[in-house]
Amino acid sequence: MTGEAGVATASALEVAGVVVNFQGLRAIDDIHLTLRPGEILGLIGPNGAGKTTLINVLTGFQVPDHGSVALNGVDLLPLKPHQRSRLGLVRTFQNVLPFAGLTALENVEAGAMATGMARGAGRAWAMEVLGRLGLADKAARRVDTLPFGEERRVGIARAVAMKPKFLLMDEPAAGLNDAEAEELQRVVAGIVAEGECGVLLIEHRMPLVFRLCHRIQVLQHGATIALGTPEEIRAHNAVRAAYLGDEAV
Amino acid sequence: MAEPSTPVAHNPLHTALLLALILLVVAAIAGFFPPALQRTVTQAMIMLVVVTGLYTFCGNSGVFSFGHIAFMAIGGYTSAILTILPGKKEVALDLPVWLEQIQLPVSVAGPVAVLFAGLVALLVGLVFMRLRGIALPMATFAMLVIVYVVALNWQAVTGGRQALVGLPRTTGLWTGFGFAALGLFVAALYDRTRHGLALRCSRESEVAAAATGIDLERERLIAFVVSAMIVAAGGVLFAHFLGTMTANTFYLDLTFVTLTMLVVGGMRSLTGACAGVALVSVVSEVFRSIERGFSLGGTTIAAPPGLQEIVLALILLVILLLRPHGLAGDWELTLPGRSQR
Repeated sequence: MTGEAGVATASALEVAGVVVNFQGLRAIDDIHLTLRPGEILGLIGPNGAGKTTLINVLTGFQVPDHGSVALNGVDLLPLKPHQRSRLGLVRTFQNVLPFAGLTALENVEAGAMATGMARGAGRAWAMEVLGRLGLADKAARRVDTLPFGEERRVGIARAVAMKPKFLLMDEPAAGLNDAEAEELQRVVAGIVAEGECGVLLIEHRMPLVFRLCHRIQVLQHGATIALGTPEEIRAHNAVRAAYLGDEAV
Repeated sequence: MAEPSTPVAHNPLHTALLLALILLVVAAIAGFFPPALQRTVTQAMIMLVVVTGLYTFCGNSGVFSFGHIAFMAIGGYTSAILTILPGKKEVALDLPVWLEQIQLPVSVAGPVAVLFAGLVALLVGLVFMRLRGIALPMATFAMLVIVYVVALNWQAVTGGRQALVGLPRTTGLWTGFGFAALGLFVAALYDRTRHGLALRCSRESEVAAAATGIDLERERLIAFVVSAMIVAAGGVLFAHFLGTMTANTFYLDLTFVTLTMLVVGGMRSLTGACAGVALVSVVSEVFRSIERGFSLGGTTIAAPPGLQEIVLALILLVILLLRPHGLAGDWELTLPGRSQR
């Protein structure tokens, strides 16, 4: 309602002043981040910059030493991971973490169950999501028998089936070939357009990030060094020096 | 809308139905067996109830329990106390008067005993399910030891070191079959629920399960209570099969045998649970008769006692080495060409 610039909007995922220390090492150093519905925010930075740690803080797998995390104005810190995901804060994993011994359909059904759907409706919805990701004919296959690219899509389908309000994707294109990465780009854009969902995208493929994201936040040594539109980030000197280097973007 | 042409996961109820039909055939054939062999088949049916209960928790959660036989004991003793003649209880036990005077038919005492075991499982599980990793199986083992020691020493209620006798022997071949089939259907129904799916997800990855909105402790607790009640039903059946209760009956031997059945058959599959019970029962019976000895040309040849246990242990070892997911693995008996709605 009061979604004016600079004012904390009620409808957003908000991180303020988060600090995480790992045995004396500062993994995250006073990070602020805002993700709005319908927005794709890229989170980039060299390995060890604290990107995955930040996702862990958001989803409850890592307790921060300082700072706050709120979803649509609700303080998330007292909530456990499974409670946060039921509120619509959904993540995917760098290494997918599928339910390997279960079928593709069961994986996605599990996501549908998190929305509170009945068993039958959940199954129909899971089939629909599998279809959207081009996996309909793989529904009855055990996930550990699928090729890597399809396993990754099952991981994304599981997240999409949860009808996320905010989706945190940890390197969804890692290990995919160019055609699959292209496909992924279409899928992510589709999720945002359709569900008014906000996406936080951690990715090392810069062309993908710069094409897909509305804003990009750059981390280094656990701190934000730049935040802006893709054009602004491309022009940012510190970013070029720290991360993009000679890479053509 | 799901596309009708898509092959979809099997329906556990079909599996339960097919397995129950096989049991029906086995029971019908066993009806023509001599009484001793009939008793063996009946006992196998009772073991199937217990193993089905174990499967419901261990198979879906991937967490071993070494303590479920304690729920058999709780079920058996509860039903014993409720069904033995008041006069006998007065002599053997030292119960409160109201409990001493109660005498219920097994059809009433059994369900009461199962509910009581479920209540115990709920209270114990509320604490146990907070444990992670190896701590949980160890805690279940501790529970088995505690229940055993209590049963062995609580003279007033269990008869202590003396056998509690005089239970109505109501468990026959067909009762055994009926409850084996019922156990299979209860397990299959649980498998079909969202709770069954959620627990299997947590078996594959606890972290991904939490990220998928699954409350690990709650799902494990639900399965723990359901499985404890199925196992307790097995305990009630076994008590009224033997007609006597001793603490030693429900301890390490039975724990070993039932876990062997589950692991050999394949703890991730209901079909596997049945296969394990069948194989272990047959092997046990064969080697028990060899131990008893048979006559060959006028001389009696008998194997040394204990051979049966050693053979079972060897089978378990071979399975663990060569087929760690058991004979069945993930495979389930199912109707050909059928798919679920």
